[in-house]
Amino acid sequence: MKILLTGLNHKTAPVELRERLAISSDRLAEETRALVSHPGIREGMILSTCNRVELLVCYEGSDPALADYLNRQYAVDPASLQPHLYEHHEVEAVRHLFRVASSLDSMVVGEPQILGQVKESYSAARSVGAVGGNLDRLLQAAFSAAKKVRSETQIGASSVSIASVAVDLARKIFGSLEGKRVLLVGAGKMSELAARHLMQQGAGSLLISNRTHERAVRLAQKFQGHVIRFDDLYARGDEADILITSTGSPEFMFRTQHAQQFLHRRRNRPMIFIDIAVPRDIDPEINRLEGIFLYDIDDLQSVASAHLSDRSREAERAEAILEQEVARYQQRLQALDVVPTLVDLQSYAEGVRQAELRRAQSRLQSLTADQLAAVEAVTRGLVNKFLHHPLQALKTAAREGDAAAVDAIRTAFQLNESREAFEAIHSAMPQRPETARAPERAAEEEND
Amino acid sequence: MFLVWLRVAAVLYGLASVSAFAAVLGDHPRFRRICLPLAGLAWFSHLVSTAERLVLAHRWMPVGMHEVQSMLALLISSVFLVIAFRYRTLSFGVFALPLALLLVIVPALGPDKYTFASPMIRSGWLFLHIAALLMAYAALIFSLIASSLYLLQERRLKNKHSPGFLNWLPPLDTMDQIAQKTLILGFHGMTIGLLAGSLIAQESVGAAYFADPKVLLSFVMWGLYVAMLFVRRSTGLRGRRAVYLSSVVFLVMLSVWAANLLSTVHRFSAP
Repeated sequence: MKILLTGLNHKTAPVELRERLAISSDRLAEETRALVSHPGIREGMILSTCNRVELLVCYEGSDPALADYLNRQYAVDPASLQPHLYEHHEVEAVRHLFRVASSLDSMVVGEPQILGQVKESYSAARSVGAVGGNLDRLLQAAFSAAKKVRSETQIGASSVSIASVAVDLARKIFGSLEGKRVLLVGAGKMSELAARHLMQQGAGSLLISNRTHERAVRLAQKFQGHVIRFDDLYARGDEADILITSTGSPEFMFRTQHAQQFLHRRRNRPMIFIDIAVPRDIDPEINRLEGIFLYDIDDLQSVASAHLSDRSREAERAEAILEQEVARYQQRLQALDVVPTLVDLQSYAEGVRQAELRRAQSRLQSLTADQLAAVEAVTRGLVNKFLHHPLQALKTAAREGDAAAVDAIRTAFQLNESREAFEAIHSAMPQRPETARAPERAAEEEND
Repeated sequence: MFLVWLRVAAVLYGLASVSAFAAVLGDHPRFRRICLPLAGLAWFSHLVSTAERLVLAHRWMPVGMHEVQSMLALLISSVFLVIAFRYRTLSFGVFALPLALLLVIVPALGPDKYTFASPMIRSGWLFLHIAALLMAYAALIFSLIASSLYLLQERRLKNKHSPGFLNWLPPLDTMDQIAQKTLILGFHGMTIGLLAGSLIAQESVGAAYFADPKVLLSFVMWGLYVAMLFVRRSTGLRGRRAVYLSSVVFLVMLSVWAANLLSTVHRFSAP
């Protein structure tokens, strides 16, 4: 089974393209189902956030040409899509996924939301049966790598979330946040994080507007804010000095004429618009107006990357941890590759022991039960002692990726022939899933 | 002795300018710490020099181009210090301190050869006239600088390219406040200056004084000033248009200064 990861992110594609490919969370499961029905794909998962759309698949046979799939599925012109796509195979795909989950590939390095988004995608894929053993192992490893990075480095602690980028911008424009009003349009998780941060930084008051009024009320209660009815948004939008939008609206909610009205009512006092939604909520044209400062998710990147240097040491440490985790994962994969050999060797030795015991059965008949148990223990011990070094050698070979050593052991013990015989017998028998997994489990116990 | 003080002030202005450049453009914290003390010392030496010169001459008002220039430099550095303490920004030092240095260099070289001796120069009204107008000039210079920096910062924030060398720009709001307040300060200065001037003219020359091009231009400038203040305050004008407005008023102001050459009655320094 091979791994392929393809997609585009904030570094390779502009927001105009990303918003065309973006998949809302309620369509994620359905899209994942469509993905795994693509020929050759055994397991698959889609990660769609405001900064990236990525397809992760395990496949057999030839490359499943996911770019074609994307073109077809989203009706995007291949010529416009191709230059923005990246493809990672095998270990590169693993490394990329680990970096994404650990937020090292994020626009705002160290931001905590991405791990949750990866987990959401994973559970959506699980819900439609698109996750098998391979993807499961890979994702679990990615989660534990992300956890390790978070707990062993300061990357999360000094994380510059979008909110703090907004705070910096507000300082450049207003001098300080004191007495400034923040209006959240859309009461999602991102908005909540932004609100918390802005209030901590001294913002004067919080206004919240959401299509679902009750949600806005809940958030307002949490932050002692005030609710603006969604219908009153254009009439009261000018009350805010900073307006943050993160709605799921497929069309622009704020256009030039709205901003002009706001400016007029504010007597040209400047206003910051921060659009963290993909697809965007605010028409980029409004940035042309004097006194309006619009930052969309891509613009925030340039500001965020200015902060990157401050955290580069932590990021370097995080990268080092990730390299170890990738290596560990690869080792585990290779260790799993020698599992059949381990199992074959053990069953071969056990077969020899049983055969010898059967041969000596007539001579052992006179022994008491205790003596028989002792014979059993002695032969078992002998076999284990005898196998100890070959098994160790196999594990070392797995760690070092030494296929020749594995082959040598198989040849020395004539395991290839016995394996073929085993498979011939096995294929003639009806499949039982539990027993199919058993050797693997045995090998994992051995590994521990 | 006053020349020694003025030369010390010039050297200190030079050092303060260098440290302002290093602190603001180079972002060196050490220079940030020494810039204000240097500018403060320069201002103090300058003040002592000016006071000594006027006390020695037994008059209140600066006479001749050198003294007027020196007085303007003193006012500019005063406004800079007030802004630096009030808004905690050294950014204006990049413009104000070199400007003060340029203005005091020539006066620091030696005393003015061309002066005039008129009993009027001991008049308190004349002092008020000149001091208030010089204050208006200094304030308008700051207002123009603040508006231009506002425009620069606005462009920078809008284009989202954040070239590091512009990081020193103060927040938009600070610049807006400085532009507005210096404008109001300048307005008061100009009104008081023109009123005092008119009173003196009424006393000495009579109504004919008001036909003089310099005087007429001064009143045009005052009118423009009122218009600009009104537009800015009523519409909250900022950014590009505010800079245009300030620039127009500033140009008129320069032409008023230059109109001395055309004026027949407003000529005191000619030998």
